[in-house]
Amino acid sequence: MKKTIQMNVNGEPYELSVAPNQTLLDVLRDELSLTGTKKGCDSGACGGCTVIMDGEPILSCLTLAIRCNQRHITTIEGLAPQGKLHPLQESAMKHNAVQCGYCTPGWILSAKALIDSNPHPNREDVQHAIAGNLCRCTGYKRIEAAILDATGQDPDA
Amino acid sequence: MKLPKFEFAEPESLAECCRFLSVQGGKAQVLAGGTDLLMAMKNRTKLPETLVDLNAMPDLKRISFTEKEGLKAGAMVNLRRFAEAPIVKEKYPLLSQAALAVGDAQLQAMGTIGGNLCQDGCCLYYNRPPMLRQNFDPCHKLGGQVCHAVKGGKNCWATYCGDLAPALLVMNARLKICGAQGEKTIFLKELFSGDGKKPNTLSPDQIVTEILVPPAAPRSGGAYLKMRVRQTIDYPLLGVAVFLALKQNDRFFDNISVALTGVNMSPVLIDGAEWISEESVPQEIIEKLVETAYRKARPINNTFGYSPKYRREMVKIYVRSAARQSLAQAEKQGGAV
Repeated sequence: MKKTIQMNVNGEPYELSVAPNQTLLDVLRDELSLTGTKKGCDSGACGGCTVIMDGEPILSCLTLAIRCNQRHITTIEGLAPQGKLHPLQESAMKHNAVQCGYCTPGWILSAKALIDSNPHPNREDVQHAIAGNLCRCTGYKRIEAAILDATGQDPDA
Repeated sequence: MKLPKFEFAEPESLAECCRFLSVQGGKAQVLAGGTDLLMAMKNRTKLPETLVDLNAMPDLKRISFTEKEGLKAGAMVNLRRFAEAPIVKEKYPLLSQAALAVGDAQLQAMGTIGGNLCQDGCCLYYNRPPMLRQNFDPCHKLGGQVCHAVKGGKNCWATYCGDLAPALLVMNARLKICGAQGEKTIFLKELFSGDGKKPNTLSPDQIVTEILVPPAAPRSGGAYLKMRVRQTIDYPLLGVAVFLALKQNDRFFDNISVALTGVNMSPVLIDGAEWISEESVPQEIIEKLVETAYRKARPINNTFGYSPKYRREMVKIYVRSAARQSLAQAEKQGGAV
């Protein structure tokens, strides 16, 4: 049976009627057309569907939309309102940390959740935060450098 | 993969929850973090008619501590919050270490401590989508009569792979269980059935509500070491927790125990109490634990990654390392030696 939920996505309130078996990922992509959140493995292993829910990075493919009532969600689209890029996105471009781009929304949101709770992470903190975001082409070194640089630290240290 | 259809219930009290589960009699499943259960549903290995969400009960998300009774943590506390709670970090660093060894940052934010304990057994032949199962006869865990992991196996050998259980077992944790018949407290080791088909002993109307950990002795130390192919996401191919306490003012053990995960159908707890006497040299006791752990580990060929033989050999190395780390930690904590 469908249920009505109220959910705040990227600062916008939404009222949606969702079925119990709809994942947050499907609702974001198919109903809100927020296709920046990627459907990779759809089984909780790749991190492509990472979004931030109430400050914590979560996998939207393993989250039921019906459980997101009264929750605040941030997707990659929410990082650049009116087209102004987030420092993490600027840094990703500067360090060429984007090759095919498929994993990028996921790791940027994992990194955002990290720096929101710890503004000056060290390299190890960064590695732990993005360990659940698989990248198969760029390589992790550039991603690490981009995140460290975005937090005002020397990426080569 | 789309999830199968199901109904969704959100009870607001434990009594209501257990009553509902009792009426459903096994057709409903409890939903905690969902990282284990929803994947099984996507794979069509579990098809509950109703999911019972435990999110609406704030009591299940509390953490408290008293010097006398120790730690009390609600089953719905997520792994990250548990690991980073100041009291857990300060008084129970072993538990914090084990919780942070689960999956990755996202899975730690979603998964709960109760859910982690009650997770289902893992097997390469079971945890796979229907498309990859279609050429195999249904195994014991799917209601069939064969085991693909152990040829000719009469039972299900699905491996218990929780990271938190060994750390809680060596700390002698207990669980509060709530059911239609009321509440009871059990030792954590009683939760595990040793049956790969159904690794826990809970009846359909029962849920774990609270985890109770006694206060740690003043000169104690612990370590959890986990072997996996990638240093993230994966379940343990072997996990070893050691917890020990030293006697006041000398270098002998007051107690020591070891628990293994990822190498049997339930976590394996080995208590070193029987070898501890006034004369026992710590190194000798550790070696006895190493040998016993090696004997009791039964890894089988039902996972990706290293061979069962290699994993079993590594039991010795991991137990020894974890014991040394624990000992070093305990020795640092004051008291003349």
